Amino acid sequence: MSDEGSTQQVVEEMELEEVGEAQAGDSPEEVVIALSPAFGEEQLNRQTIHKLPHAAVLRELLAGIEEEGLEARLIRIYRTADVAFMGFDGAKLSGSGIAIGIQARGTTLIHQRELLPLAPLELFPQAPGLDLSNYRQIGKNAAQYAKGDSPSPVPQENDPMARPKWQAIASVFYIREVEFVDQDKKPVELKVSFEK
Amino acid sequence: MQAEEQDAGNKTQAKRHKRFEVLEKRDVNKDGFVKEWPEVGLIATGGPEDPEPSIKIEDGVIVEMDGKPRDDFDLLDHFIARYALNNDIAEEMMDLDAVEIARMLVDINVPRNKVLEVFSGITPAKMAAVLECMDVVEMMMAMRKMHARRTPSIQGHVTSVQDNPVQMVADAAEAGLYGFTELETTVGVLRYAPFNALALLVGGQTGRGGIITQDAVEEATELQLGLRGLTTYAETVSVYGTEDAFRQGDDTPWSKAFLASAYASRGVKMRFTSGTGAEVQMASAEGKSMLYLEIKCVMLSKGVGVQGLQNGSISCIGVPGSVPGGIRAVLAENLVTACLDLETASGNDQSFSHSPYRRTARTLMQMLPGTDLIFSGYSTVPNYDNMFAGSNFDCDDNDDYLLIQRDLKVDGGLVPVDEQDVIAVRNKAAQALQAVFEELGLPSITDEEIEAATYAHGSEDMPERDKVQDTQAADDMMERGVTGLDVVKALAKHGFEDIASNVLEMQKQRVSGDYLHTSAILSPDFKVIAAVNDLNDYEGPGTGYRLEGERWQKIADIRQALGPDDI
Repeated sequence: MSDEGSTQQVVEEMELEEVGEAQAGDSPEEVVIALSPAFGEEQLNRQTIHKLPHAAVLRELLAGIEEEGLEARLIRIYRTADVAFMGFDGAKLSGSGIAIGIQARGTTLIHQRELLPLAPLELFPQAPGLDLSNYRQIGKNAAQYAKGDSPSPVPQENDPMARPKWQAIASVFYIREVEFVDQDKKPVELKVSFEK
Repeated sequence: MQAEEQDAGNKTQAKRHKRFEVLEKRDVNKDGFVKEWPEVGLIATGGPEDPEPSIKIEDGVIVEMDGKPRDDFDLLDHFIARYALNNDIAEEMMDLDAVEIARMLVDINVPRNKVLEVFSGITPAKMAAVLECMDVVEMMMAMRKMHARRTPSIQGHVTSVQDNPVQMVADAAEAGLYGFTELETTVGVLRYAPFNALALLVGGQTGRGGIITQDAVEEATELQLGLRGLTTYAETVSVYGTEDAFRQGDDTPWSKAFLASAYASRGVKMRFTSGTGAEVQMASAEGKSMLYLEIKCVMLSKGVGVQGLQNGSISCIGVPGSVPGGIRAVLAENLVTACLDLETASGNDQSFSHSPYRRTARTLMQMLPGTDLIFSGYSTVPNYDNMFAGSNFDCDDNDDYLLIQRDLKVDGGLVPVDEQDVIAVRNKAAQALQAVFEELGLPSITDEEIEAATYAHGSEDMPERDKVQDTQAADDMMERGVTGLDVVKALAKHGFEDIASNVLEMQKQRVSGDYLHTSAILSPDFKVIAAVNDLNDYEGPGTGYRLEGERWQKIADIRQALGPDDI
């Protein structure tokens, strides 16, 4: 997986176009990807906390879902930047009841409509430990949950020294993203086009 | 040099000084640092929105606090104004100058009681103003006088990345020999929680009697383990300094108070947890400083009526740790806790820095003056096994810690141990758990596992257990209603009379409830040592806790020191 990833050219740029208010889907074949308010925004440099381009991350999530033969639907959440509630909002709109939530800093989870907002299926709290192949695997796992399977959770590194290195920087990143929150704005459907 | 190359060089960067290149590779530069951002509360003390101290009382009701009229109070202001301030003396105490109160804290001629009285009548902003007058040496002087129990102590973490109960029972027993008086565990997999509790209950009563144990898991499970007598204290009940942060955790001060009383009413020791940096990390700091918001948490805890508080930033230590003056603020929050007469479990419990110098300097702030629990806790296992995401010190630092105690003649709560004693007690604890598992019908513990646990450094040295079988059995154990008394019976039946008797004593403690007093720990023969019968009476040299006599001899007598006959 990682070998394959490294030979591909990493996509650096994308266009995200808003195409109206996001509606609840009815296809059991779809997985929603709920982007945070500032994901892909110029002011946050369009990259995660450890400098993966947002475009590359999103393409891996999409590819993971497509590999499993399902469709991804892209939305943006404005009312919150809290990854749990974003993912939960996405799951409520997803035809399969499964959604991926992702923040600009790269923190990610897989959520399911029937669960409590703070208890997702899989949570990836340490974004600096995630590489592009992990994001593809997260996409695949989300799709497998949507098909009713029970995939093995995506393995993640537990680095006891992540706190001293990243905690403060992650806080600043989050605070900057919260500036993009609009509590009164409903989720919006997005179309993405990647640029070489 | 070619012009082209020169241009390229200018574009990349200036020529480097080799010393800076060496510095950049040092441990300290693996840490992340950020500049203050006061408008969002990313500042240790003195935030732009921190209010000025004030109080107005009419007919015994606080109608204005720190510049805010009662009509504008949020949930926290209401709670603090109603339950955490002594209205009878508040106006008088608020009239004192902040610097005058700071001097009372440091002055050995002002007794602890007098300071407690002053702090019972001042507002959050006033407390922040008092601490603003003090440097860290003065704060340590104040802490020496103010921590509630005279004798300092230490809490340890016992966890395993594999949730291996055989490893943990041995680790808990070893921790007893080192002198830990409280042990805390948590899980990788939630369903393992009952086994973790069992391992600490048995191991904690093997190395010595009287260790109080905790299983930090999801609230309902944790409460149930306590009610069953499988644990004897709880501390991971978090409070926050802004209403918005509380709401993100789906809580209010009242719901936390209800949970606290559920524990205490059933004889389970209880303290809250809070710490600087939590609110700003949740983007909910409202432009107020980390310390000011933490002071509100301490007052809230006082108002709820819990006997103690774990603070010192705790899991947010990376946030104050990255800004100027942050570690001073962490000591300040511990000090406020002591000044409100709460048990002070002072943190040092999370990985804070890659640099051993920064790690040590941070810990000396609490270790030198002593607190009720200097660490909450110290990792008794290697940090790779620490399921609280790593502690500031772990078992590989034991000799360093023991030497710092010996060098400075300071009691950090630990004593040197004999290797053969440790091996023996680990073996005994693992055998005891084998008997308990057999008697309770849990998946068997093999002799091979006991042998491995006896000598293990960490979970990497342990044979793997069948986790599916274990977690199903743990569910079943909870469904069957297994309690602490069943553990006593199992131990007694298999000849572990001494451990059985110790576990039974812990059950009795829950009935008598004496260890619910402020800052209570238990001696190895189950005598309560608390702020009631061991009150801190420090009033300068010659008073208070002194490291001397047999205890000092124990700490001085390290295995590495050579005698004249050894040379």
